[in-house]
Amino acid sequence: MSFQLVHPSTPAEAVRLLSGSATGDIAVLSGGTDLLLDLDNARLAPKRVLSLRKLPWRYLRWSADSLVIGSTTPLRAVENDGEVRRRLPGLWEAIRDVGSPALRSRATLGGNLGRGSPASDLIPILLALDARVRVVGPGGVRELPVDLLLQGSRRTTLGPAELIESVTLPASAPSTYLWQRVQPVNDISQVGVATAFVPQGPHWRIALGGVQPRARRMSEAEGVLPSARPSHFEVELAAQEAARRAEFVSDKRATESYRRRLVAVLVRRAIQTTLERMSKATPSRKAKR
Amino acid sequence: MTRSDAAPKARGGVGYGMDLEAPGMLWAALVRAPVPHGRIVRMELGPARRMPGVVAVVGPDEIRTLLPKGALEAERPVFPLDEIRYRGEPIAAVAAETLEQARHAAAAVVPVVESLRTDARIEDVFPEWPSAAAAKDPRVVGHVHARHGDVEARFRSADLVHSETYHTSGVHQVALEPHACLGEARGGKFRVRTSTQTPFGLREDLASILGIFESSLVVEGTWVGGGFGGKGAAFLEPYALLLAVASRRPVKLSVTYAEEFELGRTTLPSIIRLDTAVRGGKIVGRRVRLLLDTGASLPGRDFAVGYSIGFLLGPYRTETYEIEGFAVQTNKPPFGPHRAPFAPQSVFALESHIDGLARRLGVDPIEFRLRQVWREGDRTAYDQPVGPFGLEAGLKAAARTAGAWRTRLPAGHGIGVACGFWSTSVGAGGEARLSLRPDGLVILQGEREIGNGSVVHGLAVVAERVLGLSLAAIRVDYGDTATAPFDSGVFGSRTLGALGQAVERGARSLVTILAKRVGASEIHLEIKSGQVLVVAGRRRHKLVDLLTPTERAEGGLVVEGKFYGPEREVDASRVLAGSVYPYQDFTGAVHLAEVEVDRETGHLRVVRYAAFQDVGTAVDPSAVQGQVEGGVVMGLGAALSEEMLWTPEARLANPGLLDYRLPRLRDVPPIHVELIEGFAGAGPFGAKGVGEPPIIPVPAAVANAVADATGTRVFEMPLTPERVARALKLL
Repeated sequence: MSFQLVHPSTPAEAVRLLSGSATGDIAVLSGGTDLLLDLDNARLAPKRVLSLRKLPWRYLRWSADSLVIGSTTPLRAVENDGEVRRRLPGLWEAIRDVGSPALRSRATLGGNLGRGSPASDLIPILLALDARVRVVGPGGVRELPVDLLLQGSRRTTLGPAELIESVTLPASAPSTYLWQRVQPVNDISQVGVATAFVPQGPHWRIALGGVQPRARRMSEAEGVLPSARPSHFEVELAAQEAARRAEFVSDKRATESYRRRLVAVLVRRAIQTTLERMSKATPSRKAKR
Repeated sequence: MTRSDAAPKARGGVGYGMDLEAPGMLWAALVRAPVPHGRIVRMELGPARRMPGVVAVVGPDEIRTLLPKGALEAERPVFPLDEIRYRGEPIAAVAAETLEQARHAAAAVVPVVESLRTDARIEDVFPEWPSAAAAKDPRVVGHVHARHGDVEARFRSADLVHSETYHTSGVHQVALEPHACLGEARGGKFRVRTSTQTPFGLREDLASILGIFESSLVVEGTWVGGGFGGKGAAFLEPYALLLAVASRRPVKLSVTYAEEFELGRTTLPSIIRLDTAVRGGKIVGRRVRLLLDTGASLPGRDFAVGYSIGFLLGPYRTETYEIEGFAVQTNKPPFGPHRAPFAPQSVFALESHIDGLARRLGVDPIEFRLRQVWREGDRTAYDQPVGPFGLEAGLKAAARTAGAWRTRLPAGHGIGVACGFWSTSVGAGGEARLSLRPDGLVILQGEREIGNGSVVHGLAVVAERVLGLSLAAIRVDYGDTATAPFDSGVFGSRTLGALGQAVERGARSLVTILAKRVGASEIHLEIKSGQVLVVAGRRRHKLVDLLTPTERAEGGLVVEGKFYGPEREVDASRVLAGSVYPYQDFTGAVHLAEVEVDRETGHLRVVRYAAFQDVGTAVDPSAVQGQVEGGVVMGLGAALSEEMLWTPEARLANPGLLDYRLPRLRDVPPIHVELIEGFAGAGPFGAKGVGEPPIIPVPAAVANAVADATGTRVFEMPLTPERVARALKLL
C-alpha cells in the first residue's frame, strides 16, 4: 500500500483538493481510527490521503445558549472538559466509554459522525440533543440537523467534496446515555440509548443506537412523554414503544430479540436518570436566582 | 522478587520469534483453503512463481521432490494431499523478498475446489446423542469407555437422580506474541528458530512431519511472548523449513493475528451429560457422557477424551460410575492444548452440576463437597491411592471467607464456590547441566521462559535453596536441542515440578562432591567479592582452590541433574476402551466468586474473588501469587466473554480482539489469594505445579455465583449477558 499524504492548512484548500480527485482516489484522515483499519484490510486503496490535522477545527466554544465543537476535536478533549460533564452529562457519558483512552485521544467528533456507524455511541446523543452540523464544500457553508446527515453505515448526505466543520449543541440539557456491551472497555455497544429533556417544543428526546439502518430518534416513544414529569406508567410505555418501533438485526454481538429487550430496559432507565438530573438541576438554578 | 529478565524485557532487550532475522532471509506467506471441506481439483502455482520478488512456491506436489521421504513416511501431511479439512488450512506456501510480495503472491493462488458437506459443529455430526456403535464412525477420532461397580443398581436404588446437559465453547490461548519462526536448510541439515514451549518435542514432531531424522534437525527456542499451551506442537515450522529447502535461503514465517485465530489449535466446544445418583445425602453413582469437538484432527485422539473424563469425575469419591466419551471430527481447525487442557470446561459442567445437586438437596454447597472430597489415602476412580491433597483444607478456608462475605451481601449479589484439581506433569522427564564456576553457577537447560518466571526465576530459586548461593550468582542459560540436555518442555505445570527436580538433584550432587573435597558433612556456598566460597562450619574455601586442573580448564565443576518421574499406574480392568491417565500428585484449588447480576439485562459483574490454592510448598510465594492471579483473570475471560464463534459454514466470525473479548482491567475484581501449604507434591521441597490449576475452577465459580444470586442455572459457558438473560427467561 502506498499513497501520498497531504496536509491542507485551510478549509478552502481541503475542499479544492477533494473536488479535484475522483471518489475512491482520495480518503479523508481525521483521527484515523477507522481509516487505518480500512487501509489495512484493503477496503480502501486511495492514491491520496487528506489529513485534516492542520485545519483550525480543534475547539470547544461555549456561548450563553450553545456549545460549538470543531470537527477535528479529539473525543478525549471533549471528555476532559469539565463543563461538558456538568452541563451535558449525556454527551459526556457517551464519549467517556468509547474504545479506550488511547483511542479517544485519536478519534475525533467529526470522524465518528461522518462514519455514520449504526453502532456509534456518539450519534444517539447528538440526535437527542438536536445537534446541528456545519458543513463546508464547493458550494460554501451549509448547516443541517444531524438527523438529515445520516443515512446508514458509511453513508451520509455529505457531498464527495464536503467536510464536517463543526457541531452545535445546546449549552446545557439534562441528558443521559446508557449502553450495553459484553465488556465495558474496548467493545462495541449492542445497543445505545440517549435521552434528553429540552425546554422548547416537544420536551423529550429519545434516540437509539445499535438499530438499523442507522441511529434514529424514536418520535413515537417521545410522544408518549408529554410532560416534564411523566408518570412511571408513561415512562414504561415510552420504553416499550421504543423497543417495539425500532428495527434490530441479529449479528455476532447480539440477537434481535436481546437488543429489543435491552432497549426496553435502557430507555426506562435513561429517562429515570434524566428525571433525576432535572430534579437535581432545579434547586441549584433556584439558588442562583 | 526481581526477575533477571524484567529489565531486559522492559527495555526491549530480548528477542522474540517476531524479531528473528538472518542474512539473505526471505519472507513467507500461506495460501489457505477457501472452503471448510472439499477437494482441490486444480491449483496453478505458476502465476504466483512469476510474480515480483517471489523465490519459491510450494504445494502438495513439490513435497515429493523436495522431501521425498516426507511425502511417503510423514505421519501428517504438510499440505492436504487429497482433502481440505478446515477453512483456512494451508494448502501452499510462498517465499519472497518482502512480506508484502509474499502475501500478494499467496493471495494470487486461487485453487479450483470441489466442496464437500461441512460439519461445523458436533450436532452436525451427531444430531442425536450417539450410541456405543458410534465408536466405529469414521468421524469419531477418539473413544474412551470405563466403568466400575454396579452403576445400574445404584441408580435404581437412589433417593434422587440429578441429570443435566452442559455446553462449552471454543477458547483461544491469545498469547500476546503470534507464532513466528525462521527455518534454514543446508546440505541435508535443518535448523529452525521459533517461539516454542517445547523445543525437544517440536524436534520430534517436525522430524515425523517432514520425514527427516531428528539428528539432522536443530530447534532453537526464542523468548516466548506467552504460550498457554499454544506453542508446543509444529505449527508454522514445517512450511518455513519446506520453503527453506526450496529456496536454499533462510525463510521467516509469521502470521497476522487474524490468522492466529483462524489456524486454531485451541480449545473446541464440548457437550457434557451428567447423571448423578444420591442416597442418604451422598453420591453413590455417576454417569458421565461427553462429546468433544476435536476439529479436523486425525484419529488417535483418545487422550483428549481420557483427560476430559478425569476432570468430569472430579476430586470426589466415586463408588460406582460409567463414563463414555467420543472425540468428534468437525471441519474446524484441529484442537490444541490451552492452559489446563479440557479442565475449565469439564469442571464448569461438573462443579455446576454438584452445586445444583447440593442446592436441590438443601445442603450448603461447601458442606456437600466436604462430604465426598478426596482425602489422602482415598482411591481415585481408577483405583490409584490419593496422595497429600489440600482440597479439604481449601474448602474449609473458603467456607470461612464465604461466611464473612455473606454477612454483608447486597441484594442481587450471589456467592459461588467451585473446586478444581490437577496433577503436576512429569512429561517425558528432563535434565539440567549445572556448572559451578569460581564466580557463580550456570544452569544450562532446554526450556524457554514463557513469561511466568518458572524457568528464569523458579529454577534459580531451587538451586539457591539447595546451595545457599544468592540468586545474583546464579544464571539460567538456554541451549538449543544440540547443546542443551534433553527436557520435555513447558507444559502440564511441570517446569518447577519436573525440571526443577533435575536442578535440585544436580545441586545436591554439587553439595555432595564439595563436602567430600573439604572433608565436611555439611556445606553451603556463598559469594564474596565475586568469588564462590565453600563454607563448612567456620572454614571457608575458595571454590577455585577446590577444582581439579581439568575442571579449572573447563570453567568449573559440571554435574548433570536428571529427573524421569516414577511410573504410576491405574487399574486398567476398569477401562473398557481407550486410555485414562494416572496422577503424579494431587493439587487442589477452591475458588469463590461474588457476582452482581442485573436481573433485567442479564449483565454480570464479578464483584470480588478469592482463590485458595494448594501449592504443597510455595518455593517463591510472590511468584505463585502472580500465577494464581493470572490464572483467575484468564479464567474470568473464559467464564464471561471469551468465545470463538463459528458460522454454520465453519467460518470463524470473530478472528480478532474486538469481538473475541479478553478480560480488560475494568473486568478484573479484587482477587484474594491464599496459599495452602503442607500437603506435599511431587516437586522440589514438596512443591506442586501451579501454572494451570488456578484457571480451572473459575467458570464454575462464576456460574455458581449466578445461580446463588438468581436461583437460575446457566448451562452454557461463557456466561455472556445474553445467555444469562435467556436463562433468566427475559427473552
